[in-house]
Amino acid sequence: MESPLLDRQFLEKLERLTIHWKKSFPGLVGGHNPSRYSGGGQEFLDHRHFHHGDDLRAVNWRAYMRLEKLFLKMFQIEPRTPVRLLLDTSQSMTAPTPEKLLFAKRLAAALCYVGLVRLDTLSIQTFADRLGERLTCGGGRHRFSPVMQWLAARPSGGPSSYLQVAREFLSVHTQPGLVVIVSDFLDETGCERALQYISDFGHELLLIHVWAEEERRPPWRGEVELVDAESGSRMRIEVDDQARDRYTAAFDEYAGTLQTLALRKSGRYIGVSTATAIEDVLFGPVVRAWGLS
Amino acid sequence: MLFLNLTVAQFLVLFGSAAAVVFTLYLFDRARRRQVVSTLRFWVDAERPVASSRRKRIQQPWSLLLQLLSLALLLLAIAQVRFGGPAQARDHVLLVETSAWMGTRTGPSAAAPLLMDEARARAEAFVEALPSSDRVMVVRADALATPVTGFETRRDRIAQALAGLRPGATGLNLDQSISFARQVQTLSGGRAGEVVFAGLGRISGRESAGATAEAPANLRVLEVPEPAPNIGIRGITLRRSASDPAVWEVFVIVRNYGPDRRTVPLSLRYDLAPAGARSLDVPGGGEREASFTVRATAAAILEARITSGDGYTADDYARLELPGLPVLPVIVYSNAPESLRPLLDANPKVRATYRAPSAYDPKPEAGLMVLDGFAPPRPPEIDALWLDPPAGASPVAVVSRGTALRLERWLTGHELGAGLRTKDVTLASASLFRLGPGDHAVAESSQGPVAVAREGPPRTVVLGFHPLRSALRYELATPLLVANVLRWVAPGVFRTPELQAATVGTVTAVLPPGATAETYRVTAEDGRDVPFSVREGVLTFFSGRPGVVRVTGGDRELVYSLSLPELSEARWERPAGVRTGIPPASGSGLPAETWPWLAALGGLGLLAEWMLFGRHGHLRGRVIPRPAHTETAPVPGRKSA
Repeated sequence: MESPLLDRQFLEKLERLTIHWKKSFPGLVGGHNPSRYSGGGQEFLDHRHFHHGDDLRAVNWRAYMRLEKLFLKMFQIEPRTPVRLLLDTSQSMTAPTPEKLLFAKRLAAALCYVGLVRLDTLSIQTFADRLGERLTCGGGRHRFSPVMQWLAARPSGGPSSYLQVAREFLSVHTQPGLVVIVSDFLDETGCERALQYISDFGHELLLIHVWAEEERRPPWRGEVELVDAESGSRMRIEVDDQARDRYTAAFDEYAGTLQTLALRKSGRYIGVSTATAIEDVLFGPVVRAWGLS
Repeated sequence: MLFLNLTVAQFLVLFGSAAAVVFTLYLFDRARRRQVVSTLRFWVDAERPVASSRRKRIQQPWSLLLQLLSLALLLLAIAQVRFGGPAQARDHVLLVETSAWMGTRTGPSAAAPLLMDEARARAEAFVEALPSSDRVMVVRADALATPVTGFETRRDRIAQALAGLRPGATGLNLDQSISFARQVQTLSGGRAGEVVFAGLGRISGRESAGATAEAPANLRVLEVPEPAPNIGIRGITLRRSASDPAVWEVFVIVRNYGPDRRTVPLSLRYDLAPAGARSLDVPGGGEREASFTVRATAAAILEARITSGDGYTADDYARLELPGLPVLPVIVYSNAPESLRPLLDANPKVRATYRAPSAYDPKPEAGLMVLDGFAPPRPPEIDALWLDPPAGASPVAVVSRGTALRLERWLTGHELGAGLRTKDVTLASASLFRLGPGDHAVAESSQGPVAVAREGPPRTVVLGFHPLRSALRYELATPLLVANVLRWVAPGVFRTPELQAATVGTVTAVLPPGATAETYRVTAEDGRDVPFSVREGVLTFFSGRPGVVRVTGGDRELVYSLSLPELSEARWERPAGVRTGIPPASGSGLPAETWPWLAALGGLGLLAEWMLFGRHGHLRGRVIPRPAHTETAPVPGRKSA
């Protein structure tokens, strides 16, 4: 029997966390992040003029007695916001080692557990060149076990096509919400445009960039024949310290591009190495990036 | 350097082939590493043209060197390389004396070391002094030369073989041992080393001249100290008294092996009861004999013991199992037993019972039945002697009844006629028999056989006359004839036993004149035949271990209780020029066998290569996670972002 993705002790530590988003989304009450949209909340937000049809119970009668004008009290709400988690299962997630995909699955499972504990409704969906299967979960921590099994059973394979995935995603999910993407963001055609589309449709992006240490700083030296895990294309290269430095610089530059994109669209970017423990990732970079609080 | 399993050429060919294979595989495997990556997009910026695309380059020379070195070590282990070279390796034969002398001590006290321990210590010292490449064969040298090991290089096995040596009971046959060692060295095919003798070197007188003359040039002697003066029982001889078979005549021989005269008490016990004691004054290097008489008819244990006070007790005590006096039960059916009584009762080995013919039993509890002139209703079922049977009841057909018959011939070639010479006797009346198949005419008259013997079973002797009621009554032939009949019927009862407590080893017995090997048999306690030879009237056999050996033949039975140690008396004179003592140590200090170390080193080398350079998880490529990449700074490499 395979060991679960996350053990019980670690899950107990996650119960004090909450998935956090910065944007204000309209929606029904029931969430845990305040919104700039008014509604039937408890916290006072503002006054506005009374219009016919407004609820008389919200009229500020004290102001009416003093000013003889009807003002309506508006209250701040914490709307229920959809959280959508996209997990990259393309072939590149298994290279150079399969641990990268496993790390991404564990990260996704941990975020899902945090959401379930706070009674959020989450939609988990895998993707490669197209959107894959989707699992919608909610209703508390006791629904987490099927989620973990579902995540563990997701296979990997196929090339990446972010543009196609974004197209399908936007056609399915019209209501804006938080979109958490756990991926290595490696696409032959680039993923920047696709992420921009998603953001432009009102979704808040939380990009979690997962990489293996060998991916960022290759350990090899000498003549190496490189094989692309997704396309199978090959490249012969002489690796020395200078080449490795240039490679790392290119990698970091790409990561910087992703971060800039996320920040420009009021999103967040978190880069994590698979050499880091999941607990350290969640309570370190993710919390500091205000992805969890 | 010497290869035991391979020649140098074979080793070089094997190593060259294996190295070529390893090198080729290495070039294919390591010259260009194939690596699956998640993307190639970042390598485009880092790409640099391959400078030596036409040439295979060794990326990890230390890995290749480690592989080749490990391979060479493993091949050296398989080849069993030895350091020292073949010219120094020699084959030595180590003769360690295990004769009875080696059980004696160097001093009179019981705490003094045994000569066996001294010889063992010298043999071990000799082995330690040899080069590690020399081979040694350990041989037990006593009456026989028995190899304990083959030619062995492993010193632990040699030490184990030496530790297992124990003093035996036989004397030393040094000539045979040295001949064996030379033969083994010749057949081994190696370079002959030394023939080393570790022991006292006391040999029998017969051997001393030959061994001295043929001592080989490569002989080395490791002498042990002289033993403490010893005195012991040399042998015991028992025989039945000729006048009284119930009396044993006992002769005990005590020998003083030391140079000084000594007086020792000698005691004899029969069936745990004292049977005699004597104080013997034995001169140095001489023997004394003490005789005793012991009356005994039953089987019992006879023990002889001296109180020597020396450190060697194996020859201070001897014991013999005395057989009981055998008796032949005879039943006589006669109406006039008084006439037969003197004839049978005179022999102490015969117990006669007399009964009337009316009490006839065809199968009584007896060894012989005597039928005195009557016709039994049923024929006897045991051996029988018929005396003048009625014509109609005789077991041998009666032709007629003759008168005035003159005895002319006895069957002298048969046991029944042994010693019968009487011829001038005339029988007044006797039955004349017709011989059947298998019948022997024991006595013949001018008209025909008057005494007939028939082979059994049961054996039957029929006399056509009554020996005590005829003219034969006063002749010597009558008791002789009856004695012959009794001896023929029960030869074991009348066999004369002679017992000897002797030393193990070669035993000789003087046989009566005319005795041949065909009529004798030598058997051990368990009934197996012991090889022997008869030459010039002397029977010789060899027994290498204590036990009882019986020599039977004719009417004699010699019982040898070989329980005394054989202490040879002659001192072997070491020829001039023979090397003595422990040679100076010439060991190289290297272990005798290096292959386990070489194999272990080779294995460790391969393991190290696999861990350092193999694909074992790219150990050396594993990067410890740096906190900088897990910080909130979201972009790796952008420290200020």
